[in-house]
Amino acid sequence: MSEDRLWKFKKPEWLNSVWARNAGIYAAGGLFSLAFYVLLDSAVWSKSPLNGSDVHVTFVDWLPFIFSSLGMLIINSVEKQRLSADSFSYSGSGVAWKARVVLFLGFAALAGGMAGGVTVFVLKFVVPGVQFPAMNMGVENVVANALVGLSSVVLWVTQNMEDEYAYNLAL
Amino acid sequence: MPAAGLKTIIALSFVLAVGFLLVILSCALFHAYYPLLVVATYVIAPIPNWICSHCANPDDFVESSGAAVLDLGRFCTGFLVVMGIALPVILAHAQIIQVPAMIMSVVGGLLIYGTIISFTMFFQEEQEF
Repeated sequence: MSEDRLWKFKKPEWLNSVWARNAGIYAAGGLFSLAFYVLLDSAVWSKSPLNGSDVHVTFVDWLPFIFSSLGMLIINSVEKQRLSADSFSYSGSGVAWKARVVLFLGFAALAGGMAGGVTVFVLKFVVPGVQFPAMNMGVENVVANALVGLSSVVLWVTQNMEDEYAYNLAL
Repeated sequence: MPAAGLKTIIALSFVLAVGFLLVILSCALFHAYYPLLVVATYVIAPIPNWICSHCANPDDFVESSGAAVLDLGRFCTGFLVVMGIALPVILAHAQIIQVPAMIMSVVGGLLIYGTIISFTMFFQEEQEF
């Protein structure tokens, strides 16, 4: 198993424990929650009396976050083991091909959400020259989409860790 | 063993009462009752874990669909725990509640959730014997 290792540094042993796996999934949930509440904070602040400007959070600001969350849902719903299933004989119906298409759609939604966050930030806040207390709403939009991406990365890595763990247990 | 269990239960219920006191004080002192949502959040936080652990067989490594359900429960629990901290911060940032009320409700909520977690841990440890 160690002969087909590509990298010089191998993963530390504690990464394969159940504890690290559970902590990774809790962390992914926490990061997603943080993303949602950063965006909710901008919406609540926009309607509060502290916001002296004319700029308000509307549905357009939520749209990138919806796309990022959709992408995260798609990516993490796909069974990762089906990606390498083409080399086996039982995958006659092209499961790996389907998995690649669905994963591509998911990553496209995730990246589109991030790009949409930057777009809203630039078009709604930077170009009209909004001053800084109101500018926070645009910054929070970008931060929220980045946090959704980070959360899905953590979840992805953790789920790949799980396979190694199951393999070690089977031996 | 019963004496230690009794001491633990008394200490945990004391901590729980202090947590509730902090949250209710943070509401009543400033006449804004939004921080009560923190209590509801932390009470429902262990529920996804509990439901999903009943739905799945954790020993089933072959299909790994049982582990996916468990992961979903953990994800929702992590979401709700961070929600309990993030909600007072949002309310304080929009000046719906005061900053002292935010600090009191966050600390009280963490005490309540810590009580729930340690109570389930002690309870499971007793079950194993």
